[in-house]
Amino acid sequence: MKKHRTNAFLQLLVLTALGAAVVLTLAWPQLPFARQEEPVEVSVILRQADASLWANARLGMEQAAGQLRAEVRFITPTADNDPGEQARLMRYEAERGADVLVVDPAGRAPADLNTPVVLLDSAGKDAAVSPDNAALGSALAEAALADRPAGEVLLVRTGAGQGVSERAAAAREALEAAGVQVAETTLSPSDDGAQLEAALGGTRAAAVLLFEPSATEAAAAAKEKLDLSPALYGVGSTGPIAAALERGTLAASGVWSDFAAGYLAVEGAVRTARGEDWQPQPLDFFILRGEDIYEPDNQKLLFPVAS
Amino acid sequence: MKKLFARAAASLSRRYRTMSIQMVISLSFTAAAVAGMVLMGLSLVWRFSAGTEQLVRENTVRVLGQVNMNLDSYLRRMMRVSDTMYYRVIKNADLAADSLEEGMELLYEENRDELVSIAVFDGQGALVAGTPLTALKEGADPARADWYQAALDKMENLHFSAPHIQRLFADPDDSFRWVVSLSRYVQLTREGSTFSGVLLVDMGFSGIEQVCRDVELAGGGYLYLTDADGEIIYHPRQQLIYAGLESENNRANAALPDGSHAETFDGEKRLVTVKTVGYTGWKLVGVVPRTGAADDGGYIFLFGLSMLLFSAFLMAFLNFRISARIADPIRRLEQSVKELEAGAQQVNIREEGCYEVRRLAHSIASMVSTMRHLMDDIIQQEKRKRRSELEVLQSQINPHFLYNTLDSVIWMTEAGRYNEAIQMVTSLARLFRIALSRGRSFIPLADELEHARHYMTIQQIRYQDKFTATVTAEAGTEGLYTLKLIVQPLLENAIYHGMAGCEEDGRITVTARREGDDLVIDVADNGTGMPPEVAEHLLDENRPQTRSSGSGIGVRNVHRRIRLTFGEGYGLTVFSEPDEGTTVRVRLPALTAGQAAKLQQEEEP
Repeated sequence: MKKHRTNAFLQLLVLTALGAAVVLTLAWPQLPFARQEEPVEVSVILRQADASLWANARLGMEQAAGQLRAEVRFITPTADNDPGEQARLMRYEAERGADVLVVDPAGRAPADLNTPVVLLDSAGKDAAVSPDNAALGSALAEAALADRPAGEVLLVRTGAGQGVSERAAAAREALEAAGVQVAETTLSPSDDGAQLEAALGGTRAAAVLLFEPSATEAAAAAKEKLDLSPALYGVGSTGPIAAALERGTLAASGVWSDFAAGYLAVEGAVRTARGEDWQPQPLDFFILRGEDIYEPDNQKLLFPVAS
Repeated sequence: MKKLFARAAASLSRRYRTMSIQMVISLSFTAAAVAGMVLMGLSLVWRFSAGTEQLVRENTVRVLGQVNMNLDSYLRRMMRVSDTMYYRVIKNADLAADSLEEGMELLYEENRDELVSIAVFDGQGALVAGTPLTALKEGADPARADWYQAALDKMENLHFSAPHIQRLFADPDDSFRWVVSLSRYVQLTREGSTFSGVLLVDMGFSGIEQVCRDVELAGGGYLYLTDADGEIIYHPRQQLIYAGLESENNRANAALPDGSHAETFDGEKRLVTVKTVGYTGWKLVGVVPRTGAADDGGYIFLFGLSMLLFSAFLMAFLNFRISARIADPIRRLEQSVKELEAGAQQVNIREEGCYEVRRLAHSIASMVSTMRHLMDDIIQQEKRKRRSELEVLQSQINPHFLYNTLDSVIWMTEAGRYNEAIQMVTSLARLFRIALSRGRSFIPLADELEHARHYMTIQQIRYQDKFTATVTAEAGTEGLYTLKLIVQPLLENAIYHGMAGCEEDGRITVTARREGDDLVIDVADNGTGMPPEVAEHLLDENRPQTRSSGSGIGVRNVHRRIRLTFGEGYGLTVFSEPDEGTTVRVRLPALTAGQAAKLQQEEEP
């Protein structure tokens, strides 16, 4: 009799447990711990005040934010390439409660920052979204060599960060390996174009290599303004760069999809904030010359579809 | 495999044969219920899935129809712009005297949200007029553009190009804008003569985007637009596709006929619905993941599983309870029957459970009751049979003895021996009175011994005192009862066999005494006796009956009567030696008056 009672009790217990499981699974989506994750707050801290340089990347970031339930804040510095201001902005955003920072570095990030950081267009580190800088520098040098420069080649370094240094070093190595004489100039991070104009105006180089989009834009503008002769090789795919390519002001540009860079940066930031494993892959790039910019595939890469 | 199945089937069969009815009912009903539930669930899922897919198809077709209508309306508006420009402006203008700019600018201003530019080119590709930009880029060559060639190739049609960057006009802002070009062949007039030209209306991307944007299909589906060759015109993730971060099956989809099609792309099962946009041949493609509810698939699977388990267990639980209600009374009934088989006299057969089981229990109870009655009847019949047998045995005494006694009385009367005749008749009367004893089989020991005395008195007279007889009862036998007429046949046997060779010294003694719970009556004579082997077989039922020359009733009858009445432990024992005499010992239970009355009652029918 006691055994029967125990069996009946156990049966009722199992029945109750299964009933509870039914109710639990039925109500699961409404339970607090089963609800969707909160949106990740991403602060994007730029290093240049000119937003047009980041228009395409911004489109990619917004696309990623929409798809991955993230909120993106864009913070533009008052001065270009100011590491101090950028560090202050990073600290402020971290203290304000941003889950993750996406930074186009103007210098080194503060060491005491507890918020994860994803770097844009920087040297190839663990959390950096960028083309292979060394390969990009080499490819740019190869493009210049293909045009057989009749004289030395000037490398223009801007103080934007380690990515530029890697590109320049790789370009120098490739040029020197080809027996081309290489000159190099380094501009102040706060250069407003005057130093670059002076450098271009004063050089006797047959070709000038530039390693970041803002410098490339500025060099193309200076060349047209001063009617300079050196062939310019730069990087980037902004509107002014495309126009300079079309006009022949720029001989070639190393281009990658800023849209993809922005998208991947925010995707990586969101995954990092959610504790997921994320390893950035180097962005694909290629060397584009003026006559190729209206190829259908190049159009799609250079000019994001936007109304 | 076949052997394995056969072995499994045999094992199942064995188990089924030894399985309780409760287990059979529980398992069968539960298995049937679970199978039914699974079948029903699968049917519902299948029906629901089919219905959902049908709804999705219909919904997608409806949405695509609506978008198609909006897109068609938009394109027709652009075509009306082109028509207006051609038929109202170009056809009415002689370029030698008139300018196209005014009408062109008016049209542009009216539709500037949707237009990027309007331009007219002559047959060599030179710009005739344009707005809002009026100068071509250096190196621009419209005549080599696809839209220009298409307009000249098919002069009667309007042509919509694939999206492209417009690179014709010199733009001080260096802007590169995506456009869809609408071109047509036109006839221009200058100084009265006509010549070929091409009218270009560049539509901005925003118009198309507004038509297609924010269109949501079921299950996270989306819509995109391609030209007839599958080149993407609009896609909600267009730039991701262009950047190589995502991919789309646009070329294959554009080749599909209008309608819904199932496909698997990048490992994802999708329902693709295609609709051709009337005039342009563009394709509107709606894509709905067939696993749109996959995000909730885990919940649904868990819910379904737990529901199935809960239902199955509930069924098993209820079936177990219900089958127990059926089986338990049967089991108790079986237990009762087993107890009956074991010989229990008082078995409670409970009539409980379902109607059929109650009826069965009632039938068994009735059967048991009937059997008991039948057994009682059999016992009664046996008793009656035994009594009638006893009565037959007893009745066998009387005729011979009565004949001989009356014969003696006759010859004594004839001989004038009246006193002896009177004594003999008196003893005979007394003998018969005791023998009758109102029909009772059990009489007091004193009466039995008195009966023996009277019998011996009669026999002594008949045999003229050839022997003496002594009948005594020892102390302790007072008030005891005995079976009627058991001593007289033994005396008769002693007289006819034991005293046969005696002259005048014969002696017969009857002694009654109590031994524990038994009453022992010895009937002894000093007659001729018999060999032990003869004495040994005297009571053997299997030996031929020894007929006496007296009453004809031997000791064997007495022995059988005692055993029939009291059992095997009682009866006669014969002790005899040739020339020494014979003692027949009667062993009976020492019956009190109450016990004798009870036995008498049991004997009566």
